[in-house]
Amino acid sequence: MPEPALLDAAGLRLSLPDHSRKPPFGPAPAVDILHGIDLTLAPGDTLGIVGESGSGKTSLGRTLVRLYRPTAGRLLFDGRDITALPEERLRPLRAGFQMIFQDPQSSLNPRRRVAEIVAQPLHLHGRAANGAEARRQVDALLERVALRPVHGERYPHELSGGERQRVGIARAIALQPRLVVADEIVSGLDVSSQAQILALLRELRRDLGLALLFISHDLSVVRTVCDRVMVMLNGRAVEQGDCASIFAAPKHPYTRRLLNAIPLPDVDPDWVARSAENELGETLTMDVKDSVALVTGANRGVGEAFVQALLDRGAAKVYAAMRSTEGYAPPDGRVQPVALDVTDHAAVAAAAADCGDVTLLVNNAGVNHNQPISADAAQGNARDEMEVNYFGTMEMCRQFGPVLGANGGGAIVNMLSILARVNLPMIGTYCASKAATLSLTQGVRAQLAAQGTLVVAVMPAAINTRMGDMNPPPLEEPGDVAGAALDAVEAGEEDIYPGVVAGGVSQGLAADPKGVEKQFAEYLPG
Amino acid sequence: MTAPQITPGTPPDGPILSVRNLHLAIAGRRRRTPILRNVSLDIAPGEVHGLVGESGAGKTMIGKVILGIQPSRAVVTGGSVRFGGRDITHLPERERRRLMGRGLGLIPQDPMTSLNPAGRIGGQIADVLRLHLGMDRAAARARALELLNDVHIREPERVLRRYPHELSGGMRQRVLIAIAFACRPKLIVADEPTTALDVTVQRQVLALIKEMQAQDGASILFVTHDLGVVAKTCDRVTVLHGGRVLEAGDTRAIVEAPQHDYTKALMAATPRHDRPGDLLQPVPEALTARLNEEALAYDAGPDTTSASHA
Repeated sequence: MPEPALLDAAGLRLSLPDHSRKPPFGPAPAVDILHGIDLTLAPGDTLGIVGESGSGKTSLGRTLVRLYRPTAGRLLFDGRDITALPEERLRPLRAGFQMIFQDPQSSLNPRRRVAEIVAQPLHLHGRAANGAEARRQVDALLERVALRPVHGERYPHELSGGERQRVGIARAIALQPRLVVADEIVSGLDVSSQAQILALLRELRRDLGLALLFISHDLSVVRTVCDRVMVMLNGRAVEQGDCASIFAAPKHPYTRRLLNAIPLPDVDPDWVARSAENELGETLTMDVKDSVALVTGANRGVGEAFVQALLDRGAAKVYAAMRSTEGYAPPDGRVQPVALDVTDHAAVAAAAADCGDVTLLVNNAGVNHNQPISADAAQGNARDEMEVNYFGTMEMCRQFGPVLGANGGGAIVNMLSILARVNLPMIGTYCASKAATLSLTQGVRAQLAAQGTLVVAVMPAAINTRMGDMNPPPLEEPGDVAGAALDAVEAGEEDIYPGVVAGGVSQGLAADPKGVEKQFAEYLPG
Repeated sequence: MTAPQITPGTPPDGPILSVRNLHLAIAGRRRRTPILRNVSLDIAPGEVHGLVGESGAGKTMIGKVILGIQPSRAVVTGGSVRFGGRDITHLPERERRRLMGRGLGLIPQDPMTSLNPAGRIGGQIADVLRLHLGMDRAAARARALELLNDVHIREPERVLRRYPHELSGGMRQRVLIAIAFACRPKLIVADEPTTALDVTVQRQVLALIKEMQAQDGASILFVTHDLGVVAKTCDRVTVLHGGRVLEAGDTRAIVEAPQHDYTKALMAATPRHDRPGDLLQPVPEALTARLNEEALAYDAGPDTTSASHA
């Protein structure tokens, strides 16, 4: 960048107390609003921040002008660190960065005349020696935003929505700031007033060299004032870049959804009905080539096969996660061993922070104690199976879901078993844990659909590995199962039953579930 | 009044709603301020009719007059509103109430303030059903549940017990749509029903309104300032400024080949992300001034002006 950044935010995080969950005594629990936002703004730059309500865009705007204090990260304004600057030292700097609020109705004091409202920052920052001087400046400011001096004598409620918003703008530029954050300032206006305000913003930007951070839920509007845009979802930036390329080829499904939701003024009687289909029926797919994958239980069996299949298909990097990396020899330079026990939730959180570039998560780690329900009197083995197969997968999905969202959606592959659909009493507790994990997978899928994450459930029959070789043949080859799972990722299939046996059982379940259940019941122990 | 008439184009089956030469003024201490000037529009059964204009154009007032809920200072000074062939312009309060619900419905603009904050959702829907259809408590509750299902609210049993503040804006708008359609009215006035919503939620709500409309065959008067929304949802459209109808016709004709300068200006003010080169043009001040002059001249006397500059 030729010019030094005016605003430079790195890894900005924000947590606020959630008062809706506050217990009767004690502090309210914190809720995470922003999960590490990076952005820079050069002098005179315009950046649009787009997202739905609840995406954190307003909180981000408020944090950038230090109305909120970031919980973590670093915030530089004009090269100066203001991340944690106390208010009294911040105040003189505030003239440099101002905010225009969403609702002029509530952000303008109803008991003050417009002239007093606009003059207030001048007085607070000692920019006007006396009343006459202030009045002269106020008149110039009102003219600047295309209001007449008579408007200065009015109260906010006597103005139209567009006029009120102009007052907000006049107040924001009174101190000749270098950065203005405009939060949804046209969302309450009709198209004509909106066009006027947007034209005014473009003018001010040109004449005053303002840097502008324009927050909106409407990408159409953003395009008319901004050079760059950042799309936010759940407190993360899912896509960022210059408007021309993002509008021409939006990468993230969420960006596409936002764009498709805008009703352009072209007649299209089916548009409305199509939207309902789109929301539900858009197939998510993902290329394995160039992906960054993380495979759990990667040192043996199907995990090892997954690593190899990923490498064969051109994955950029594979994190091979296993309990202990001791003695593990990575098969390729692209493989990075990670010591990770999925039952250690702190370790899973740490891995999600360390492996922030993951786009494809393969939850393969699992245990099978090979026991019927009747055998496990102490429930120790059954709990172990749940701990690894269910809770381990759950924690991985929980921690890596946001990572995948931030990296464009991505995919999760959960290695289950056909025994998630029907219980084989000979190994009843294992089957129960896999059934729970199948249900979990469906829940994760529903939750992550909005951020464009594909969630695949892989349900093969017995596989030719150390864990499966006590089963009667035919056994599936691990490489075939891993390959089928990656095929599903690329084709956007959600539930797959690789192999002849699993396919047959799944068809049987569809035709005659009770019959299949009876057949499996014959494999009782003893 | 002998001012030139803009023909709204007669719908095929005879209109369910027919507004003819409607004049309305706000009574002040000394004089009456005209708000609606010779407004005519027809809505056919099953038609979605867009009413477009800037704030202050009088579009919300037309909806209010149709529903008979205009403020008491607003006086109809001429013309008529016919609903199902019956003149309802000056209907007494009691008869008016009988018309609401089964005849006329409303989807209000602001989902935040249009529900009673102190009542549970289920009760508020059931009240409408009991009042207008005379249902008993159990039947009303069952129908309320069905309605929440119809508007695609997940876990409707739980939502029935919720208070408005516990729901999101989109959910509240869904509840209001359920209420509007509760008694299967013949005409619904939708007053900027999606203006307060995010684009994605707006799209869902528009889909819902169209789906419910197709199911029930109701007509809708869709009040909005957004020609994009009109283009996607309305069969026909009336363009309003300063309480005057400037242009009316099929949506395709109006959107693709607007005749009136003002309609063209509104199109130019509507953002399009697919045409990055076009800078938004606010409605030119000269045009606004000309239209305001025309309106005043119209008030001064029928012979001094023409209402339409095509």
